[in-house]
Amino acid sequence: MTSDTSAIFDQISKILSAHAKTDTPITPETRIAADLAIDSVEMFDIVMEIEDAYDISFPIEEASDIDSVQSLVDTIGRLTDV
Amino acid sequence: MFDIDSKKNGIFAKFAPLAKRAEAVSTLGRQPFGMTFDAMLSPTRARVGNAEVVLAGTNNYLGLTYDPRCMSAAKDAIDRQGTATTGSRLANGTYSDHVDLESALRDFFGAASALVCTTGYQANLASISALAGRGDHLLIDADSHACIYDACRLSDAETIRFRHNSPEDLAKRLSRLPAEGARLVVIEGLYSMLGDVAPVAEFVDVAHAHDAMIFVDEAHSIGCYGTNGRGVADAQGVLDKVDFLSGTFSKSFASIGGFCVSRHAAFEYVRLVSRPYLFTASGSPANVAAAHAALSVMAEDTSRMESLWARAHQLHAGLVDAGFEPASPTGPIIAVPRPDELTAVREWNALLRAGIYVNIAVPPATPQARSLLRLSVSAAHSEAEIDQIIGAFRQLSALAA
Repeated sequence: MTSDTSAIFDQISKILSAHAKTDTPITPETRIAADLAIDSVEMFDIVMEIEDAYDISFPIEEASDIDSVQSLVDTIGRLTDV
Repeated sequence: MFDIDSKKNGIFAKFAPLAKRAEAVSTLGRQPFGMTFDAMLSPTRARVGNAEVVLAGTNNYLGLTYDPRCMSAAKDAIDRQGTATTGSRLANGTYSDHVDLESALRDFFGAASALVCTTGYQANLASISALAGRGDHLLIDADSHACIYDACRLSDAETIRFRHNSPEDLAKRLSRLPAEGARLVVIEGLYSMLGDVAPVAEFVDVAHAHDAMIFVDEAHSIGCYGTNGRGVADAQGVLDKVDFLSGTFSKSFASIGGFCVSRHAAFEYVRLVSRPYLFTASGSPANVAAAHAALSVMAEDTSRMESLWARAHQLHAGLVDAGFEPASPTGPIIAVPRPDELTAVREWNALLRAGIYVNIAVPPATPQARSLLRLSVSAAHSEAEIDQIIGAFRQLSALAA
């Protein structure tokens, strides 16, 4: 993990833990729906929070493909690197 | 309830959590989702088993389903044109009645173009998915109806959500977008679950200031707001600035079907590319005729809209007086938030036993994962029926105990 993605992971972990319905520790491998019990509707709300945190546009179509925390970190890395 | 094959990759395995939830609901009484009415008696009354119930959740805002003008128009259409068109609008399914209805909608809304679709769901799907293409952006209210989300999925555009009813939040998200590509903002006039009204005029200003067009779904608000029921955009004085306005025939229009009108004549090209418009059979003659008759009633007569608002004020005030806290100010939709899903189901059953049918709405169909008893008012409700509804709510805690 680079320092950039590590910082994204830290921030995303905070956002996700505020929405999680389980006590599962958040690691890059954590699955957002299966392990944190965050449903697709709530994931869309998280996307809005991420857009505001990073001042980016994050289309919800991108969110549909995200399974793990790592894939979310990678997507944000890509969307912020423009 | 129904057996689910426990095999790991069984196709029904994904329904197991849902089955568990449905089972919990069914232990509390009647199944509230997809309930059967054994006989319809009027716009506001039905028979369930041997009991007569007052209907307080039908979206039949103007109560025109039994209006003699709508009924005779539908019967006459069957006599003239049969029961179905058996074809799509592009092929053999466009009759002069479809074209006449589009013309009447253009006149009513002062629009340059009107598209009539087979359902309200398809009207949004057809219009939004065709208007926004690859490289474009759709900006939708977070509380949008499922058909708007589905339209976004069908479109090749990218979708950005903004916070519910917040023009400021929309402005922020529009300002982040790249300069390339068209932008379409999608809002609803009146939101179907909580019954809250959008600040359409402010949204119009924000959209146009950011070089975006605006699409307003007035499915629940036509017939209820604005001059002769032209909707919330009209009530807020911006109907002529709205780029696209959609509606459904399944509520105030006492039929089934949907439409989208536009002040841009080029909207006509949507007919040639939109899959939900092209690849489905057109509205049946009876449905088209009933919708047209309802539109004529609306255009000529505001007395039903006045009755609707009188009954809405009566119901809203009565529920507040009974100690409930509706989610929104007085309107045709009155949503009463409940603490959780099982409480809502228990109360829904208690109301039904007391002779009152309301809608129940639970996550994920509701904003903020709320559980709601949702009531809609009809112009056809009598004062006595509204009193009966309020009376049942007054006794709700005892009834549901």
